[in-house]
Amino acid sequence: MSLKSIGWALLLVLVFLGWSSFFVVDERELSIVVEFGEWKRSVEHPGLQFKLPWQTVYTVESRVLSSDTPPAEYLTLDKKRLVADPVTRWKITDPLQFYQRVNDEVGAKARIDAIVNSEMRREFAGRNFGEIIGNAREPLMLRVTEEARKQTRTFGIHVVDIRIKRADLPKEVQESVFQRMRAERDRVAKRYRSEGSEEASKIRADTDKEKTILLAGAYEASQRLRGDGDAESIKIYANAFNVDPEFYAFMRSLETYEKAIGTDTSMVLSTGSEFFRYFNQQQK
Amino acid sequence: MRNQFDDDEEPPANPADAVAQAAEMFQKNAGKLAPIVGALALAIVIWLGTFTVAPGEQAVIRTFGRESGKRGPGLHFVFPFIQRYDKVNVEKIQQVEVGFRGEERVPIEALMLTGDENIVEAQMIVQFKIKDPSLYLFRLDDAEGTLRSTAEVSLRSMVGRTSIDEVITTGREDVQRETQLLMQRLMDQYQSGIQVTEIKLQAVDAPDEVRDAFHDVVRAREEKEKLINQARGYQEDLIPKARGEAREIERQAEGYKQERVLKANGDAAKFSATLAEYSKAEKVTRQRMYLESMERVLGSLKNKVIVDRELGRSTLPLLPLGAQGLASLPAVGGAK
Repeated sequence: MSLKSIGWALLLVLVFLGWSSFFVVDERELSIVVEFGEWKRSVEHPGLQFKLPWQTVYTVESRVLSSDTPPAEYLTLDKKRLVADPVTRWKITDPLQFYQRVNDEVGAKARIDAIVNSEMRREFAGRNFGEIIGNAREPLMLRVTEEARKQTRTFGIHVVDIRIKRADLPKEVQESVFQRMRAERDRVAKRYRSEGSEEASKIRADTDKEKTILLAGAYEASQRLRGDGDAESIKIYANAFNVDPEFYAFMRSLETYEKAIGTDTSMVLSTGSEFFRYFNQQQK
Repeated sequence: MRNQFDDDEEPPANPADAVAQAAEMFQKNAGKLAPIVGALALAIVIWLGTFTVAPGEQAVIRTFGRESGKRGPGLHFVFPFIQRYDKVNVEKIQQVEVGFRGEERVPIEALMLTGDENIVEAQMIVQFKIKDPSLYLFRLDDAEGTLRSTAEVSLRSMVGRTSIDEVITTGREDVQRETQLLMQRLMDQYQSGIQVTEIKLQAVDAPDEVRDAFHDVVRAREEKEKLINQARGYQEDLIPKARGEAREIERQAEGYKQERVLKANGDAAKFSATLAEYSKAEKVTRQRMYLESMERVLGSLKNKVIVDRELGRSTLPLLPLGAQGLASLPAVGGAK
């Protein structure tokens, strides 16, 4: 073993030591430095870091992670069943606590799922179905988030938020909802149809009424006019004939005879009548 | 990554010896090899470290894991092993479909509860682009999956606040807008670096199970309109006709009135004129008028029976009268 080979070996050892004295923390990571199982420090900023060669580094995700809790059935205050599928977004804030308490992401997800599940069960049980579907959803999920945050803080986890991805009715209940929807629609359709005939009848009745009134009005006016005409003619006749009523009676009688006695009329005339005044004269 | 120097083809008994041999070889030939090795190393470094960024893309450079800068389109260089780069397209509008994939419907995504506890089927397209490559790369795990589930969360919570009638008809735009707002808020909260550029609600309709009933409502509404229009038609047909008829009745009456007055005037004028002349020779005229009238009346009679005054008292009841009976006798002796 020459002096040279010892020199080379030394160089190699130095290279090895140098190599294991540095580690890189990525933008997406948080790290802890451990010395023989004992925590030394946490590295929460990315970049090139120095450590002692015998120290080990554990790395965890620093990105926002999702945990898609499987859908579960929940009971609401009004005893309805609801299938909800929550999604939790969370991230690791304290790598040491995380490493100590839950070890890895799989473990963390299991813990989070359990907490979310029980929190949702509790919150849902205090609310009516309609509220959960509608306006209460946001504040309700905020409270679940808040509670989950509190419970997971010791795991070195920050829960960003918990949202209900899907909230559906159990399959068996869906059919009854469909039945109700159909009944409701039928009701609305019937209403439209009867409203249509109601409106149409109104219009027709109004029309008939208007027509009747129009005609009656016309009748009234016409009768007035006729009456006026008759009255005026009576006045005119009376004025004229009153000058000599006897002559009028005479003349009118003659006219009437001419009109009333037609050619088919049989007539028995007495020679004693005024008409035959001169007929008998020769005998006298 | 530990050194593997001792992994030679013929493992010598002493690793230090092997290393020493290699070093000796290197030393002997160092003078000749150095430029070649240097040039080769440089070529490899350049080859590994050079990259192009296409238009619309951005490259994020990390030095020892830490973000150290961004590069726009063009030719760029990084130091291999020390630096790394990730290219992200920041201009391309990407899209995910919720509730359907292409032609196929996905009921589990599409069916959702409305605020009035009905079920509606909604399909949506979400368009997005990456607005912040650093966030997109380093702050959120599974950005695409997050985007999809956030889209569902947002749509469902908006539809959950709206009644089925609104979602299907007038409230559609509102739901669309609110969904986009909520979705952007959540995506920002998750530090996704994603910009939701547009949300388009595709079909929003009643589920298959109840669709017929919904369409029947539409038909009923149309029928209602039809009935009303028919009635209006009836109205528009009848009223003008009635007005015309009324006008006719009134006009006829006006005519009648005028007729009566005019005729009366005529008759009166005739009478007055006749009377004026009659008064001048009353007796003669009266006699003449009477006889003329009688001439006309009796002249045209087909059946005339003239009975003597004396006989008349006894025979009259015995006369055979015509089938139609005897016309009542006018007062023939009316003239005085």
